[in-house]
Amino acid sequence: MAVDRPTFSESWYRVADLRPRLNSTTRVHRQHYRGQAWCVVQDEAGNHFYRLNESAYRFIGLLDGRRTITAAWKTCNQELGDEAPTQGEVIELLGRLYTSNLLQSEIAGDTEVLFRRYRERVAREVRGQLTNLLFVRIPLFDPNYLLDRWANIFGKVFSRFGLALWLVLIVAGLWSIMGNGSALVASAKAVLSPNNFLWLWLAFAGVKVIHEFGHGFACKTFGRENSAGGEVHAMGIMLLVFMPIPYIDASSAWAFRSKVQRIVVAAAGMYLELATAAISAIMWANSAEGTATHAICYNVMFVASVSTLLFNGNPLLHYDGYFILSDILEIPNLAQRGKEYVYYLVKRYMWGYKEARSSAHSPDERKWLLGYTLASTAYRTFICVAILLFMMDTLFVLGAVLATAAIVIWFLMPFGRMIRYVATSHELARVRTRAVTTTFVTMVIVVIIVGMVPVADHARAEGTVVPRRLAAVRATTDGFVEVVLPSGRLVSKGAMLVSASNPELTARRAQLLAESRRLNVRRDVARRENDLVVDQMATEQLAALRKQISRIEEQIEQLVLQAPFDGTFVAPDIDRTPGTYLHRGDEIGLVATLDDLLIRATAGQSIAAQLFDETHKRVEIRIAGRPDIKISGMIEQILPAGNNRLPSAAMGHAFGGTMAVDPLDPERTKTAEPFFEIKIRPDTNVQLLPGQRIVVRLNMAAKPLGLQWWRSLRQLLQRRFRI
Amino acid sequence: MVGVPSQFWRMLSCPPRHPKLSKGLDAVWDAAVGLAVQNAPRVRQFMRRAKQVLALEESFAKLTDTQLHETGDELRIRFRLCRETRDDINRAFALFREVAYRQIGERPFLVKVAGGLAMQAGCIAEMATGEGKTLAATMPALIAGWRGRGCHVITVNDFLARRDAEWMRPIYRFCGLDIAHIEQEMGRYERRQAYQADVTYCTNKELAADFLRDRLTMGSLNNLTNVLLNRIGTDSDVAERVVLRGLACAIVDEADSVLIDEAVTPLIISAEATNTEQVEAYQVACRLASQMCTPNDYHVDYRYCGITMTAAGRAKLTRFASQLDGIWVGNRRREELVAQALHAKEHFQIGKQYVIDGGNIVIVDESTGRLMPDRTWRDGLHQAIEAKEGLQVKTTKDTQIRTSYQRFFRLFPKLSGMTGTATGIRRELWQVYHLRVAVIPTNRPCQRKQLVDRVFFSASAKWRSVVAEIRHIRNSGRPILVGTRNVRDSEHLSRLLTAEGLEHSVLNAVRFAEEAEIIAVAGQEGKITVATNMAGRGTDIKLGKGIADRGGLHVIATDRHAASRIDHQLYGRAGRQGDPGSAQAFVSLEDELLICHAPRTTAIVRVCSNHPSRKLIGALARKLFAYAQHRAGRLSRQQRSAILRSDDWLNDLLGFAGGEC
Repeated sequence: MAVDRPTFSESWYRVADLRPRLNSTTRVHRQHYRGQAWCVVQDEAGNHFYRLNESAYRFIGLLDGRRTITAAWKTCNQELGDEAPTQGEVIELLGRLYTSNLLQSEIAGDTEVLFRRYRERVAREVRGQLTNLLFVRIPLFDPNYLLDRWANIFGKVFSRFGLALWLVLIVAGLWSIMGNGSALVASAKAVLSPNNFLWLWLAFAGVKVIHEFGHGFACKTFGRENSAGGEVHAMGIMLLVFMPIPYIDASSAWAFRSKVQRIVVAAAGMYLELATAAISAIMWANSAEGTATHAICYNVMFVASVSTLLFNGNPLLHYDGYFILSDILEIPNLAQRGKEYVYYLVKRYMWGYKEARSSAHSPDERKWLLGYTLASTAYRTFICVAILLFMMDTLFVLGAVLATAAIVIWFLMPFGRMIRYVATSHELARVRTRAVTTTFVTMVIVVIIVGMVPVADHARAEGTVVPRRLAAVRATTDGFVEVVLPSGRLVSKGAMLVSASNPELTARRAQLLAESRRLNVRRDVARRENDLVVDQMATEQLAALRKQISRIEEQIEQLVLQAPFDGTFVAPDIDRTPGTYLHRGDEIGLVATLDDLLIRATAGQSIAAQLFDETHKRVEIRIAGRPDIKISGMIEQILPAGNNRLPSAAMGHAFGGTMAVDPLDPERTKTAEPFFEIKIRPDTNVQLLPGQRIVVRLNMAAKPLGLQWWRSLRQLLQRRFRI
Repeated sequence: MVGVPSQFWRMLSCPPRHPKLSKGLDAVWDAAVGLAVQNAPRVRQFMRRAKQVLALEESFAKLTDTQLHETGDELRIRFRLCRETRDDINRAFALFREVAYRQIGERPFLVKVAGGLAMQAGCIAEMATGEGKTLAATMPALIAGWRGRGCHVITVNDFLARRDAEWMRPIYRFCGLDIAHIEQEMGRYERRQAYQADVTYCTNKELAADFLRDRLTMGSLNNLTNVLLNRIGTDSDVAERVVLRGLACAIVDEADSVLIDEAVTPLIISAEATNTEQVEAYQVACRLASQMCTPNDYHVDYRYCGITMTAAGRAKLTRFASQLDGIWVGNRRREELVAQALHAKEHFQIGKQYVIDGGNIVIVDESTGRLMPDRTWRDGLHQAIEAKEGLQVKTTKDTQIRTSYQRFFRLFPKLSGMTGTATGIRRELWQVYHLRVAVIPTNRPCQRKQLVDRVFFSASAKWRSVVAEIRHIRNSGRPILVGTRNVRDSEHLSRLLTAEGLEHSVLNAVRFAEEAEIIAVAGQEGKITVATNMAGRGTDIKLGKGIADRGGLHVIATDRHAASRIDHQLYGRAGRQGDPGSAQAFVSLEDELLICHAPRTTAIVRVCSNHPSRKLIGALARKLFAYAQHRAGRLSRQQRSAILRSDDWLNDLLGFAGGEC
């Protein structure tokens, strides 16, 4: 038919004369979303919710158990005209209400259908749990009575007075942290150390219990205020990536008319957690280091602030932040409708299926739906990949199983469903050619991008900057420093760096010279007397003496230290040396070619193969801590032999580098695995300083992304299995 | 004492349940099973068993009538208790053969017995036309009758129901069974009596309508508990007012037509609607529609029978409607009515989908070519067409209860049938009804010559050649049957033939009064018969003297139907029961089939047809028709399964409205 919403339905006869009405246990709440009035029908017994738009509610409202559906529909049509629901819409609406157990009818329903639906629902839930293995919910008990009893007391927390108190607490907590900033940072590393895990988890569990009760009490309190129920009937344990944490079902808050109250219920958990964090902070600051209280408080503080804001507060994950966001935006069911909207876009614009109906009720909603869906999909994909990689790193087999399951459930199955939908769905029958073509072309493009278009491949290596030539200037002779060259001077080869004097040597030389004069005299005397024996003796003694003298003179000469090559004289403490006594072998300073630097980078085994075959000679260099500076360089040499002595201890784990080093090695430069050394000549020496830690980006031969990922995966497996 | 009659009790205690179409992996598994089951070699087995039955002939021929009665009674008890063995079935069939010989003088031969066995095993037996399917169906019907749960033999029309029932009555009576048939004119009491018989011959239409009426009668008393409760409180006896005895077993003649072609035909019991304000609205809509023109105001989709109004069209409509009031004020209803009128204007043509008979619109069934005076189109379409033809617009009707043959026949726990052509529908028969197909070989080899299709560029060239061909064949003295797709074409051809001075008779939905006479002489020398699909099913054209020597009947199809089965039904009129004959189709690139189902490919072939190699183009064009038929078949198959699925979905959704029939 040509009409979007045909007025009549051929199945109308089946409902025409029925006189159903809403269940007596249902309550209807009127809410406004984005300026439109909606009615939320709530089944208090089963905690089902159903949102009706204005015209649908006008129709449902007419059903009082005495009017027939036809009569109600006609009335509706007279009143609302085009806005009135069509027969088909009425049938679907009634069916959905009935499916949600919100409708009662004078004739008993088809009991078999009822039972089948129940079985299907259970099966669906089980299936849902299985496909969502990382977030399994196990309800344990009904906290309603407990909450009822204590709501009067704890509910005050959500009053204005409570809020003021909360603010005071938070300020106090921040105040006490600020005074202890350094201790805070120091302990931060310890939090994630393995022997703290038990404490951390206990803190986590405790804090989350408080969090959940926060939701519960908030729901209860506002429910009473509004007389909107606020029943909370399920509390239990959720296995979040197999870690048990508590949860509470406060979904009855959806019935609240006030948007602010709904937001407060969603935020109540974080509200209490932050208060807990503040209290812990105060206690932590006022307890002695090393006590159990101190440690526990620190953990609680950490969990209740950081993790809460990171996870619960994040609207992209399906936690509190999401509900807060969807209430702020006034788009209930944001995630689901966002997904539907994206499907709609694909159907409508890619496949050309013109009958597709948008799930957005207003133009404003569209951008939110689209934006949220794209952002949350990207973020969730990222989180899932991260979790799975982490699992594979720690519990390999389980992680691999989960990763496979995740790929099947989140990727292959939806993909298969989409293919089947495109190939067989009746909806697309008329536009099948276009749908198949566009889908196929998209897939081909993806395959080409992933599998064929070479993309620059990079690897990172850490290194240090060293001068190409470096020589330590050491005292070769003991002596008192007299004249020194200031540090940082450029020197040419042979230039004086330090000159020292050694009176002892001078005296010795004088003494030896005197001795030689005496021997000379003696020899001359002997020659005159022709005493050959003495002459001979004196000559030999004299020769020996000369040698001694020349040695001493050499030593004296060496008191003047010279630059071994052109470079810069580096001796930071040189100014303090004049007049001091230098022992032989003492280091005075360095002469280094600071204008001719070299980078020595280390590459682990994982990039070794590519290193030799595919790496471009040009590399990019970044200085650690100075991301703004970009320098390029050229690989001079790759030392083919595996090495396991780092050029600098700074590159090892022990001093903040990335290479794992042998902890038993005193110098901390012996690596756990052999590495390859790359010598790189930077194009410019400006801004590079010897001893700096730098990161080198190696440009590998461009390769398709698919191949790159495949290699990474294989390397991961190889590492695990040591093949 | 509260009680209900036992048959009624049984009907209620095991109420028919709609098996759901399987989904997902189940559907894949089911399709795989179907593939295996359909391809399992079972025909040879039926033939072997048929031979065993034939081998029993002598021993049964020796028995006296009394002994035959005794044997029959003994077998009947076994079947009644469901304790029969395969041997018993063989004996029952052998007994039947002997009884048939003694009572009506016909002894079913091998292939009939094999067909009977196939149906007994719950298959669709594909048997060549003219192989005496009536007799073959009687064998499984007899066994079903002996079981005592009732058996419905579904025939194509009332006439056949009565004829077959009368013809077979002696056999059943000899075997101790009551038989009856249902006719349209029968009253409730007569029907009730007829349905109480062991075997009832009826048409699918009557049976399904009675079923729906029963459902309406029963209302909420559709399960045993409710009936018993009702009996306690009141005196009303619903059991007395219900005519059927439950659905146990059905044997469907022309199963492809009933189970596939008519599968989605809705069966509706309706009452006059209470509001009559809309009558003139249709006339206004028709007037408005006549002022709209394609493609500016709306687009027409021939393949999917769709109308899409453009923005300009909508604006135009708003302008027109600004002077009107009442239901024309609302946008939605207004567009709906005009779209309906456009739909009537574009997709429904007199002589194709309907004819006018005595001031009424009468629907012509597209696959059988027969008039369907009881049928109306739904959702005001009928009214829109009445308005378009300038007839008096009748009030709309309110549906009281509805089902489709597809859903109805799925209710039978045991369903079997026979057809002349089951090729191409095997998969669907399995998917929807879980029926298998057994292709029974012909008794005598078929001597029909299937000539290669002749393809023409334009429709006018086709008609010219058809006339020339008719003249040519007639000169050889052979009788000719020309099949046309609809009334309009048959009238067109008739005019052409009259202009050529060729004497002929026309058989179509409008001229059907002399059907029997026309068919009776259609096999005589030099006879030209122009017929719609009416002449396709169940008509037996007997050849005149000496015709067989000249080559028998020649069939010309002037169009291809959307399903090749229906083409074959027409071809099958030639060369029956081993007679010689020939058949040929004349088609053009302007035929409706191509325009609807392969417009783009046709355009390509059209462009190519300037190519010098005519032969290649001919082959290509013939492929094109096969392709269009394939696409049409796929489309209607998908539509049928979509309807079934959406019915399932709706049924789930409307649980509060009680189960549907």
